[in-house]
Amino acid sequence: MTFFSIVVRGLTRRPVRTGLTLVGISIGIAAVVALVGISRGFEKSWETGLKARGTDIVVSKMGSSLAPKPFSDAVAELIVKLPHVAAISSQFVELLSIESSQMMMLSGRQWDGYAWKNLKLISGRMPLDDKEQAVVLGQTAAEVLKKKIGDPLQIEAAELTVVGIVDGGAVVENGSAILALPLLQEIMSEQGRINVIDVRVTPGTSEDELKQLCVEIVRAAPDVTAMAAGEHLSNSQSFRMVKAMSWGTSLLAVLVGVLGVMNTMLMTVFERKQEISVLLALGWKPSRIVRMVLWESALLGFLGGIAGVLIGVAGIKLLQNTEAIRGLLEPDLGIGLLLTSIVIAVVVGVMSGLYPAWRSSRITPALALQG
Amino acid sequence: MKNSNTCVYEAVALKKDYDDGQVQALRGVDFRIEQGEFVAIIGSSGCGKTTLLQMLGALDKPSTGSLHYRGSSLPDLADPSVYRAREIGFIFQSFHLLPTFTALENIQIPMLESDLPASERRGRALTLLKSVGLEHRARHFPSKLSGGERQRVAIARSLANGPSVLLADEPTGNLDSENARIILDLLVQLHEEQKMTLVLVTHDMIIARKAARNLQMLDGRIVFDGIPGTAAPSP
Repeated sequence: MTFFSIVVRGLTRRPVRTGLTLVGISIGIAAVVALVGISRGFEKSWETGLKARGTDIVVSKMGSSLAPKPFSDAVAELIVKLPHVAAISSQFVELLSIESSQMMMLSGRQWDGYAWKNLKLISGRMPLDDKEQAVVLGQTAAEVLKKKIGDPLQIEAAELTVVGIVDGGAVVENGSAILALPLLQEIMSEQGRINVIDVRVTPGTSEDELKQLCVEIVRAAPDVTAMAAGEHLSNSQSFRMVKAMSWGTSLLAVLVGVLGVMNTMLMTVFERKQEISVLLALGWKPSRIVRMVLWESALLGFLGGIAGVLIGVAGIKLLQNTEAIRGLLEPDLGIGLLLTSIVIAVVVGVMSGLYPAWRSSRITPALALQG
Repeated sequence: MKNSNTCVYEAVALKKDYDDGQVQALRGVDFRIEQGEFVAIIGSSGCGKTTLLQMLGALDKPSTGSLHYRGSSLPDLADPSVYRAREIGFIFQSFHLLPTFTALENIQIPMLESDLPASERRGRALTLLKSVGLEHRARHFPSKLSGGERQRVAIARSLANGPSVLLADEPTGNLDSENARIILDLLVQLHEEQKMTLVLVTHDMIIARKAARNLQMLDGRIVFDGIPGTAAPSP
């Protein structure tokens, strides 16, 4: 028997209470894993999408909604003349409910823009020109919409034909319906308007030159923002809000877990007052009692963390396969996030045990002889 | 601990007050307990005998007066837990075994404060369990043991760190007469074989007569200090 077995037995004494506390803390940690994993995954898949298209700078007008605000397509003509700009690709992107999918990314792309080039045909063909009433679907989007080549696809009031299924090399691309820019502008009644310009710079452009180009783009078109592809999403106001909300919600859930652990440990200390006094009478140092309580709460946190990570990962996998959002989520469940979640759980455990541990240190050994 | 010949405990004008002096549990107690003595502290409920045992076990500090253990002032010990772990063994009326630990494990609990490796702790606990005749109950939890068996495990636990003094608080108080006799015989045997100092609190005169010396208390004072039967204590 070791000191650690005393710690473990302390928790197994009241299995139901320990179990309920574990559920409490694991839900908090599951929320951290799921929400932070989703927001980080969204950021990562967005970046992967930009990388797949070979975009170096993103020009947009980010507002408070997830999709950027439209602006005049004349901005594109200003940008293309600037130094170091190799190519541009204007787009109109929108999140829309399309047939059976409650939310799908719709991407209208400049017909001669480079953003078409990264799409690899899996089946069918690309649209013949920007007049054809045709759409290509990313492979996930095709699965979600249950469409094959030749099927009609209703987007708002327009009926298009699915002419191709493509692999876009990123979750965002594969979950999208892609069509010619003029077609989408017409569907959305936004003729002459775009909301994203992907900019590719000439090879050999340095980081400083890239930053300078961003400044020049904004100078040329003060209405828009221009950011290096990697910084675009993290600087988006709406994305930052989503990120803050996911952390906020997670921390709130963790706080509930903290209170649960603290309550359990306080109950444990109160219930075991006499037992603790007996241990002191038998020669245990008060510091060992404090360590025992802290180890118990840390162990609660650790086990809650493990359970929370498992619940969070399982929950996310379940969510990913839900029809409503299938193809839109690519959670980033890296080992870093999972380990951080467990560390948070252990820290939460220890923090929650501080007050009960302090209370345990106040117990007098004289109590051992009472009753 | 400083050595002071054969004197184990020496109390001079020992007082203990509670509630800002409203309750006087000990009102000036003087005594000496020598090495290897078997002393029974007797008296009715509330006379201060448990308070005195708390002082001897360094579980509480006196309000005034002095109390020395082998020449060292008990209230002034820098770390009383070292004294409790190494010098004394406690036996409680309600046994106070930890319910989620087996008999063998309960005996090892005080040893966690020693430097003994786990295997040695286990071996020593098994030897102690044998010495109280309960080796066949090693893996049993307290709930599966009879009252007498629990107290025998508690006695084995009190010997875990090889103390020279045993402090027992009504050790047979919760037992039937047969088990009480077994426990008392065991304590007397330990006292005689291991030359241990045994200080036992009781209000049972049969037990008190087994001791070599009785300290009879009344209202926080010692009213009789001598060989049992030389006076007629009526606790």
